[in-house]
Amino acid sequence: MKVLLKISWLNVWRNTRRSLVMIVAVSIGLWGGIFVSALSSGMMLQRFDLSVKQHISHIQVQNPEFLKDRHIKYGIADWDALKKALQADPVIAGFSGRTLAGGMLATANMSVGISIIGIDAANEASTTGLDDNILEGNYILDEGRNPVLIGKKLADKIKLQPGSRLVLTFQNIEGELVSASFRVAGIYQTSNGIYDESHVYVRQSDLEPYVGEGSTINQVAIVATDIEQVQALGDRLVKQFPEYSIRTWDDISPELAYLQEMAGMMLMIVLVIILFALSFGLVNTMLMSVFERTRELGMLMAVGMNRKKVFAMIMIETIFLTLMGAFGGMLLGFVSIQLFSKTGIDMAAVGGDSLNDFGFPSVVYPQLELSFFFFLMVLVIVTAVLTSIYPALKALRLKPAEAVRKE
Amino acid sequence: MKIIRTEKLSKIYNHQSLPVKALNQVNLEFETGEFTAIVGPSGSGKTTFLNMIGGLDKPTEGQIFIGDTEITSLSDSKLIDFRLHNIGFVFQSYNLLPVLTAKENVSFIMLLQKTNPKEMDARAVELLKQVGLEDKMDVRPSKLSGGQQQRVAVARALASKPRFILADEPTANLDTQSAFNLLDIMLRLNKEENITLIFSTHDQRVIDRARRVITLVDGAVDSDEQFER
Repeated sequence: MKVLLKISWLNVWRNTRRSLVMIVAVSIGLWGGIFVSALSSGMMLQRFDLSVKQHISHIQVQNPEFLKDRHIKYGIADWDALKKALQADPVIAGFSGRTLAGGMLATANMSVGISIIGIDAANEASTTGLDDNILEGNYILDEGRNPVLIGKKLADKIKLQPGSRLVLTFQNIEGELVSASFRVAGIYQTSNGIYDESHVYVRQSDLEPYVGEGSTINQVAIVATDIEQVQALGDRLVKQFPEYSIRTWDDISPELAYLQEMAGMMLMIVLVIILFALSFGLVNTMLMSVFERTRELGMLMAVGMNRKKVFAMIMIETIFLTLMGAFGGMLLGFVSIQLFSKTGIDMAAVGGDSLNDFGFPSVVYPQLELSFFFFLMVLVIVTAVLTSIYPALKALRLKPAEAVRKE
Repeated sequence: MKIIRTEKLSKIYNHQSLPVKALNQVNLEFETGEFTAIVGPSGSGKTTFLNMIGGLDKPTEGQIFIGDTEITSLSDSKLIDFRLHNIGFVFQSYNLLPVLTAKENVSFIMLLQKTNPKEMDARAVELLKQVGLEDKMDVRPSKLSGGQQQRVAVARALASKPRFILADEPTANLDTQSAFNLLDIMLRLNKEENITLIFSTHDQRVIDRARRVITLVDGAVDSDEQFER
């Protein structure tokens, strides 16, 4: 075996230029595949993280009736009891009770349909980090009378800026329309432009007088200390509060889970296509190598090298060639991922704000799990073995008596 | 002692379409220690005959005995193993492995035989000394002349301790001096170590030194002469 390895290794370097061309082709092909995979994976993970952090949280608790008819009157029946339980649970990193109302936002020039979210400013900040997303103006923690936070996209659309006045119109508990004047305290921007265009944040305490008797919490967003704990936490809350609808992130936004699965699948397809394309180059290289060495292979079979060893020799040569390319590609991939995972790649330059409109961040930080590289290595070895079969069979079909005399 | 015997050996190429009779009922015997040249015009069946007795090709009819083994009935894998342990080959185009040194080329066949590494090394050195290449052991074939490469090929053929060596036009690609050197070495090995050598050749220099000359014409034995040399 040692001799076969040695001869195969030396054979790879008999035609240095040809081997190098193939190695470079494999390297660049895999590098491209790895980097695209890392970009895609990074984009999906960022979208997931940001969606969970900024919008849906890990778990949402609601009155089941609210899910059927989004009327403000369907709130959490015993908010104090739920609050106490959530405060006592050690795996909960933060939670925020929200009052949700559909309504209209009107300025002197324009009116648009929007969702109004009444929040406890401090709790919302510790749950979704909304205060970190303020681009202009201030967060609504200590602002004066009736401050409102509006998304950048909405602000651009209806030309509002911090200090601008607007009127919010919405239904109260009785179902009657009420209007109140608010002043823009700040402009926020999340990773999802469509969300920013359709959601405004006000303080619950400012909303209460208009909504009606007693406060109404329509939604409680919960963030766990660790995503691994979410399912168990959800199960626990379901047992504790069977009267509420308790949904985890994948129930709330199944497309997030689907996107992650699909991204994984797409990465595999991309890599398989790349390897499939490269395998033609490898087959061609190895066939040329076999044809060039017809006399030599004939001699080996004539003097007594059995077919298994001839087959193994061609296979080992193909594996060497492929693995060298694979190592090159993986090294380039690893280095470039490390480099860009710190600086990120600003996709806004090529996609404008469209990525942001679909909830994807415009600056993407490529990332790949280490296990991906192991999986890729297995895929590469399988490709090399499969690729070597045809040239090796060609070698085996040589007739030694004819092969040794081939000019 | 008889080492090779062929019985009614025939080979027909293109059996189905346009049959060409390369060998026709050839009955020959070879003794240990012979130095035999098989001669004849192109297409007379010399190479075909060598391929048959070397187990590289199968006859259409007839039998080949190497010692007591009838090799035409051996399976392909058994035949490969049989060749490894019983037959040495020297080819017209040397056919050395270009990626290995002279010594490694000689050792390689012993590796296939799973010879003990120490014994293998010593034998490779000894054989290369016998063919006058002790100073070229670590040189690759591309740095050797044609004559030197053919001498390495002879050493390689001897390495497996075969029962006989088949050489197909071994001097065809060599200049006169290299051809004489090679023939001297082969004759010496034949005389001193009783190694059986069977050549197919057109080369009069080889024919003049052979102790037995078999002439084939149209795939049949035309003459079989012995010489005292």
